[in-house]
Amino acid sequence: MLHIFDPNTRTDRDLGTPPPALTGNTVSLSIDGHAIDVPEGTSVLRAAALAGIQIPKLCASDNLDAFGSCRLCAVEIEGRRGMPASCTTPVAEGMNVHTQTDRVAKLRRNVMELYISDHPLDCLTCPANGDCELQDMAGAVGLREVRYGYEGENHLVAEKDTSNPYFTFDASKCIVCSRCVRACEEVQGTFALTIDGRGFDSKVSAGQNDDFMDSECVSCGACVQACPTATLMENSVIEQGQPEHSVVTTCAYCGVGCSFKAEMKGNELVRMVPFKDGHANHGHSCVKGRFAFGYATHPDRLTKPMIRDSIDDPWQEVSWEEAMQFAADRIKAIQAKYGRDSVGGITSSRCTNEEAYLVQKLVRTAFGNNNTDTCARVCHSPTGYGLKQTLGESAGTQTFDSVMQSDVIVVIGANPTDAHPVFASQLRRRLRQGAKLIVADPRHIDLMTTPHGGDALHLPLRPGTNVALINALAHVVVSEGLEDRLFIAERCDPAEYAAWNAFIREERHSPEATESITGVPAESVRAAARLYGSARNGAIYYGLGVTEHSQGSTMVMGIANLALATGNIGREGVGVNPLRGQNNVQGSCDMGSFPHELPGYQHVAQDGPRKAFEDAWGVTIDNEPGLRIPNMFDAAIDGSFRGLYVQGEDIAQSDPNTQHVEKALSSLECLIVQDLFLNETAKYAHVLLPGSSFLEKDGTFTNAERRINRVRKVMPPLAGKEDWQITQDLANALGYAMHYDHPEQIMAEIASLTPSFHGVTYQKLDELGSIQWPCNEAYPNGMPIMHEQDFPIGKGRFVVTDYVATTERANRKFPLLLTTGRILSQYNVGAQTRRTSNQSWHDQDWLELHPHDAEERGINEGDWVGLTSRAGDTVLQAKISTRMQPGVVYTTFHHPVSGANVITTDNSDWATNCPEYKVTAVQCEKVAQPSAWQERHRAQHKKQWGLLKTTEPTEPVMK
Amino acid sequence: MSSQIDTLVKMINQIADNAPRQETPEATAEAVASHLKKFWAKPMKEEMRAYVEAGGVGLNEVAAEAALRL
Repeated sequence: MLHIFDPNTRTDRDLGTPPPALTGNTVSLSIDGHAIDVPEGTSVLRAAALAGIQIPKLCASDNLDAFGSCRLCAVEIEGRRGMPASCTTPVAEGMNVHTQTDRVAKLRRNVMELYISDHPLDCLTCPANGDCELQDMAGAVGLREVRYGYEGENHLVAEKDTSNPYFTFDASKCIVCSRCVRACEEVQGTFALTIDGRGFDSKVSAGQNDDFMDSECVSCGACVQACPTATLMENSVIEQGQPEHSVVTTCAYCGVGCSFKAEMKGNELVRMVPFKDGHANHGHSCVKGRFAFGYATHPDRLTKPMIRDSIDDPWQEVSWEEAMQFAADRIKAIQAKYGRDSVGGITSSRCTNEEAYLVQKLVRTAFGNNNTDTCARVCHSPTGYGLKQTLGESAGTQTFDSVMQSDVIVVIGANPTDAHPVFASQLRRRLRQGAKLIVADPRHIDLMTTPHGGDALHLPLRPGTNVALINALAHVVVSEGLEDRLFIAERCDPAEYAAWNAFIREERHSPEATESITGVPAESVRAAARLYGSARNGAIYYGLGVTEHSQGSTMVMGIANLALATGNIGREGVGVNPLRGQNNVQGSCDMGSFPHELPGYQHVAQDGPRKAFEDAWGVTIDNEPGLRIPNMFDAAIDGSFRGLYVQGEDIAQSDPNTQHVEKALSSLECLIVQDLFLNETAKYAHVLLPGSSFLEKDGTFTNAERRINRVRKVMPPLAGKEDWQITQDLANALGYAMHYDHPEQIMAEIASLTPSFHGVTYQKLDELGSIQWPCNEAYPNGMPIMHEQDFPIGKGRFVVTDYVATTERANRKFPLLLTTGRILSQYNVGAQTRRTSNQSWHDQDWLELHPHDAEERGINEGDWVGLTSRAGDTVLQAKISTRMQPGVVYTTFHHPVSGANVITTDNSDWATNCPEYKVTAVQCEKVAQPSAWQERHRAQHKKQWGLLKTTEPTEPVMK
Repeated sequence: MSSQIDTLVKMINQIADNAPRQETPEATAEAVASHLKKFWAKPMKEEMRAYVEAGGVGLNEVAAEAALRL
């Protein structure tokens, strides 16, 4: 059962230069007498590496275009003059290359001699010792002396830049190979770094001589990873030294699902290095995944199970057995008194597939009802509903890599540079190659200012008018003959198409007619529709700006309509792509977390699948759906719902209308919270079960591309149990027997009961690296692009999508519309990132508003602003910003004390109850003190920490 | 009647307003009812059925028709 993945396989080697664009032609050549065939366009350096011959190099790296500056990779080629750099020399038919001759040896020694003449000789105490390419190359070329001496003009006294909390820039060790500058440009796409000056004065600089922290640097760390010396070095390596082993695992932040090598010293994590063979990220990362892992060992971590009778009592540390018995007794007593349906559970989209599966299994077996839901309810449930109605499967259609074939990219209600940064880097690469960008968003998002990415077409719609906009786009496609008639005829249901066609042609959907609703100039809408409709490959990417609306599901179906009408489904470069918020939103949905669906989106009313689960689990499963999260809250306030088991989700902070949620949680007789920290929800709990971080367990996550990635345990769980073990123990205490020894056995059970997972095993995941479901008899290695031949429902289905305005409207009392979102450095409720140095970038939530709205209210930058909605009020500090349109204000919700969700209402999507986070009518005014809710929150925070520990709360409170 | 009924009325009216429009109001009501059958928990459906039978104040036309089909 031991699965150790050795990253030091050939997939992780640096081959010097990137693979060439494939032409299909092969070139034969000889290197040091070895015959080798390589694809046309391959560099000599890469060809040699493929043949197992290492040519010395410094400025080359196979994630960067060849640069040819260090001259160390010089070789001799028969029939050619001089010693060309092998990184910039493409192979030619019949070429004879010699990589080791006296002539190149002498040249390389001379090159190294010059480098070392201006380099500190402190190798023994240098943090790169053991991982220094400069040192390696000095050894490889046999450098024995530096004839120039060390006394000449040099850079040895250059100052260190320690402004970034995660890495240090030590210019004295720089060899000006430009790898960092190129990584910033080519890998990350930010263009924050440059080489300043010429000749001897050349130096790496972040922007216009800013330090790293004040520059445009987004701290993705690509430069640190690219640096061949100790010039750019992780502070953790400077402090701890070089790691001694590594394990490949999957990041637990956003839905991109980056693969990382967790580089370890014993059980201590030294650094996270994005894994080159990671199928979602190809060796890139963001500031969260690479650097923000310190929360895992933060002193705030809960390490002991705890119980209490009432939420006003102090917490009592108990053994695991006692905690489980206490929880089980309470749940059973509640069910005996109020009935079987009076309890439920919430699965976490941050835990593994196996763990989410186990929680819904516990609910359906030990609790004996379908009252299971997941945090996907509040983000992408409309995606599940809308895509199932139209395309037949509740998932995105593409791989991330597919974007490299897109000609027109439409981004709707998503902010990839902040929320899905690694995918944003890939998107930007495609934009630099010439793809066109259309952005539909109330705000001006950073993706629109992609350096060398061309001009974006912005459709700055009013919050809440998505459906009117998508209908207008479709209207133009249909009325201007931009449809893909062949695709529609072959792939779509004709009757439904005809009904939709008649609907969408109506004049009321035209851009001119909807302009007064959306606020987007008709000409822009027409231009966007023409661009997308006539693109060879048009792809749509969308986020929570689509789903978190009263018409979230309608909008998802509207997007699918548009993609179907233009034939942009079923091949590389196209598709409908939901960008998932949390690491395992896709997975938690797949795993049967919803109250109406068993794993694999099999409805509980379907007798066949239900029978299979009943037989496997030995219970009778209710054929009626259970309660969704908002329904649970209402039932709790109503008194019919009394017990809740929450796995790794902070509903008290993340769910809308905080005061309503707090009232519901206070009504519970037993709230069991399984989490890393005393989060907002845990303040209302009776049982605290200390969970495990992603570093402390085995399992799988499924990312936004349906890609199942392995999570591998790199250190023992701090509190002694992995999350799946905790759920198993709770089930056993409740009297339903579970006996898994390893998550692999849970996955085997999932595979046996879920048609789209039939072929998934840990062994296959190890062999293939990752698998995109469906993976079964028909698709043994998974399915990267969906719907290539047909849809799971046969024909694609057009759905009539009437625009219905939300009831949440601006009026005289609440004249502004608030919309909420995320920022790069923080993640969701911030429980993890707030406990890292990512705080340096965003230590509070700000209220962004347009200068016009600010001026009308006499609000200046930095003023405290009271924000009031129909649901509640809070106070935030103002940031004046022209990225907002007048009438729209914006904030993030990463800090509990901000109370962003005190403001949001309990309006929700009509089909799925996904909250309408993106539209709240508000008023703001300058104030001098925090809101009443914030005062209560602060008091509650202090009190609950007091009940837990004697130490002062370490979480930041409002300044 | 529980305090939850206000929320349920709001929800069913919203579904009736948003469910993809069918050719006849009856067909739309049937679509709404089938949506409720598929996604609403049993106690919610039972409560709504009882509410519509007791007069169904505040339900829009399609919603009332759909509630009767539960």
